[in-house]
Amino acid sequence: MHQKPDIVEILRRTNSGEYCAVKEWDVKRIPRTVRAMLKKYGLEKVLNPEEPVNTDMELADTFFKAGFELALELGMLCEPTERIVKISEDELRSTLKHAPSQLELGFGKDKRVMKSRTPSDPYPMMFGASLGITISEDVWPYYIEGIVRQKEVDLLEGGSLVSVFGLDVMPGTPSETLLGYVQGRRHRELRKQGGREGMPGIGNISAVTEFGQFCYGTKGGFYNNDLSLILFPSELKVNNQTLHKVVHTLAMDGLVFAGSPAMIGGMPGPAEGAVLSCIACALLQYAVLQASVGGGEIYDIRYLSNVNREGLWALSATHQALSRNTHILTHGIANEVSGPGTEEFLYEILVGVAVIAASGASFSTGPRAAGGKLQDYITPLECRFCAEVGHAASGMDLAKVAELAKHFLPKYEAKIKDPDIGKPIQEVWDLRNFKPTPEYHAIYQRVKQEAIDFGVPMDPF
Amino acid sequence: MSAEYLDKLQAAILEGEEDDAAQAARDALEAGIAPIQLINDGIQKPLEKIGKDFENGECFLPELILSGDAARAATDIIMPKLTAGERADGLHGTAVIGVVSGDLHDIGKNIVGAFLAAQGLKVIDLGCDVSPKRFVDTVAEQQARFIVISTLLTTSRPFYRQIVDTLKARGLRDKTYVLVGGGPVTPAWAREVGADAYGRDAKDAVACCRELLTSGVQSPLAEPLIVNALQSKA
Ligand code: B12
Repeated sequence: MHQKPDIVEILRRTNSGEYCAVKEWDVKRIPRTVRAMLKKYGLEKVLNPEEPVNTDMELADTFFKAGFELALELGMLCEPTERIVKISEDELRSTLKHAPSQLELGFGKDKRVMKSRTPSDPYPMMFGASLGITISEDVWPYYIEGIVRQKEVDLLEGGSLVSVFGLDVMPGTPSETLLGYVQGRRHRELRKQGGREGMPGIGNISAVTEFGQFCYGTKGGFYNNDLSLILFPSELKVNNQTLHKVVHTLAMDGLVFAGSPAMIGGMPGPAEGAVLSCIACALLQYAVLQASVGGGEIYDIRYLSNVNREGLWALSATHQALSRNTHILTHGIANEVSGPGTEEFLYEILVGVAVIAASGASFSTGPRAAGGKLQDYITPLECRFCAEVGHAASGMDLAKVAELAKHFLPKYEAKIKDPDIGKPIQEVWDLRNFKPTPEYHAIYQRVKQEAIDFGVPMDPF
Repeated sequence: MSAEYLDKLQAAILEGEEDDAAQAARDALEAGIAPIQLINDGIQKPLEKIGKDFENGECFLPELILSGDAARAATDIIMPKLTAGERADGLHGTAVIGVVSGDLHDIGKNIVGAFLAAQGLKVIDLGCDVSPKRFVDTVAEQQARFIVISTLLTTSRPFYRQIVDTLKARGLRDKTYVLVGGGPVTPAWAREVGADAYGRDAKDAVACCRELLTSGVQSPLAEPLIVNALQSKA
């Protein structure tokens, strides 16, 4: 019998669960429980920074067991009511058993199938571009169409609009609701204009609050077989914004794509603690947020990145653990810090995305150009490179990917804390002709060739 | 003898035990230890260690926050006993910190708050999704020396302007230093909204506060103090 609690039951628990103040949860409950679980399973200090990719599958499986137990022990905290939503073991097992292992996304000739994978699985990891990097209103349609035209990119997600009809968008105000409808409609139009009407999508990256999400599944907006992006606060917390988005998505018969990064250096402590928290978070979101896809995001708050050694290791262990022990459709993000036009950015993509793909994630989104912070600092070229790496590295042996990380890390790691933000799209990409400047194209070709020479099976053109 | 009291205070701060830290401060004062020595050796030293350990990955955000809380509890007790001259030397005064409307990204703000508390500022943390009105009301109530505004969302940046404009309208702009930071916030934006200082990370926030206080410059500054801006290296 299916024992997954439905959304009504979850909403009930957000008002009736055990009381726990947010601060108590953040600085005491999470760190103490994670620490105890690491100790119980002998997982303290198992990371060796000289080996930035885990290749020990027994270790990955132990992480899974500990993460599963952590999920049951902690549950998720509802911030506004300060109540813990607990999930029982039967409920969690049943939820995972009934979670989809495959989804057909998009339609017609542009349809793609997302599948549950295992480490080094030859079935290609899907790639969606880009994250919520903000783009000026006049540039945005050309940028979005530019992504659609990269046939390697499987799903269309961002970037984010910051104004519509010249009106600055402010979160939680009617301008955000308006932005949602505009973005939903334009995403349909631009997919068609770029020659891929049925390309799968993710919406709405620009929805800071629930208001920007009304456009999901409603007339003329995002399709209800696009993924409905619903992020929630770290660690293991939900709030009204996220729950509003869930209720709306379910009412639209849509697909919840949930996620929240576990933070290395944050409440769960070291990289090992973040792996546990990330696994627990991935599992719980299927029960609490009724997710169809998602789970597996990690971030290192000391580096504002995760393509550093600890971040890569944590990504690898998490995705190996989840993909070997469940059939959920997991998701990983490589958080780059350098920007367009720099070779460091491309190396960061190569290492980060390859690790995620070979560790068994079902899909990935990105890139996080210049840390994702700066307006217009991203181009479709990097979106394409991410997808190329993701597809090509999927079937690679983990030992080979570990070698790749060690080989390419020295090309960028010293600069992670003070990265080169590169150049805005207008300077390295020809917006009207949908192609990079010759200089940037040459950098891309060179890094790609280095990857091919190393053994990443990419098409050189 | 004084070593024993200082050890206790240091230990309470390193362990993040608020009540123990307050008690250790009381005991030490009673035993006649100079308040300034308690601040420098009993509080600053362990905080410096925690700060370094955090950067080196040997301690983590919860410890940083709890140690900051413990230090605050001890400082509250010791501060009134300092002479006016001694008080002027360190970082002092109240800082109101928060993440602006709509935005829930609170991790960076938590780190900035913990660093400022660790330096001796009284930090009033309003959390995230804080309206301009609430920021300014709190500055007025607390007669805050600093208002420390964080956001990671470009679309939430216009609220910075509302905060500065409201401070002006309520006659508070010259009483408080406005510090801005967070992902999409740039030096240019700091200038545009009329802030007093911009920093890239938590250490920079401390540097800004220190520089503003020690220079004694009157707010609002004609040109904001810029510490450690992100750059294109091309
Ligand atoms: C974690 C995260 C989340 C988490 C937040 C969890 C939490 N509890 O905070 C979740 C998953 C909920 C989330 C949600 C969203 N996010 Co988010 N998120 C991030 C991410 C990956 C990391 C942020 C982080 O915590 N970093 C770690 C801390 C330590 O760093 P920090 O916050 O930058 O703080 C440091 C400095 O900035 C500085 N600092 C900060 N404040 C101040 C203040 C002063 C005065 C000073 C001097 C310094 C300073 O010091 C800090 C310590 O060194 C960033 C990517 C990025 N590169 O920033 C995206 C990012 C911020 N998110 C983004 C977006 C778009 C969203 C969503 C709108 C997505 C969506 N459609 O759902 C929602 C919005 C939710 C909301 N209402 O706020 C965008 C914002 C783009 C933009 N420019 O507007 C980013 C940049 C991602 C991207 N583009 O790729 N997100």
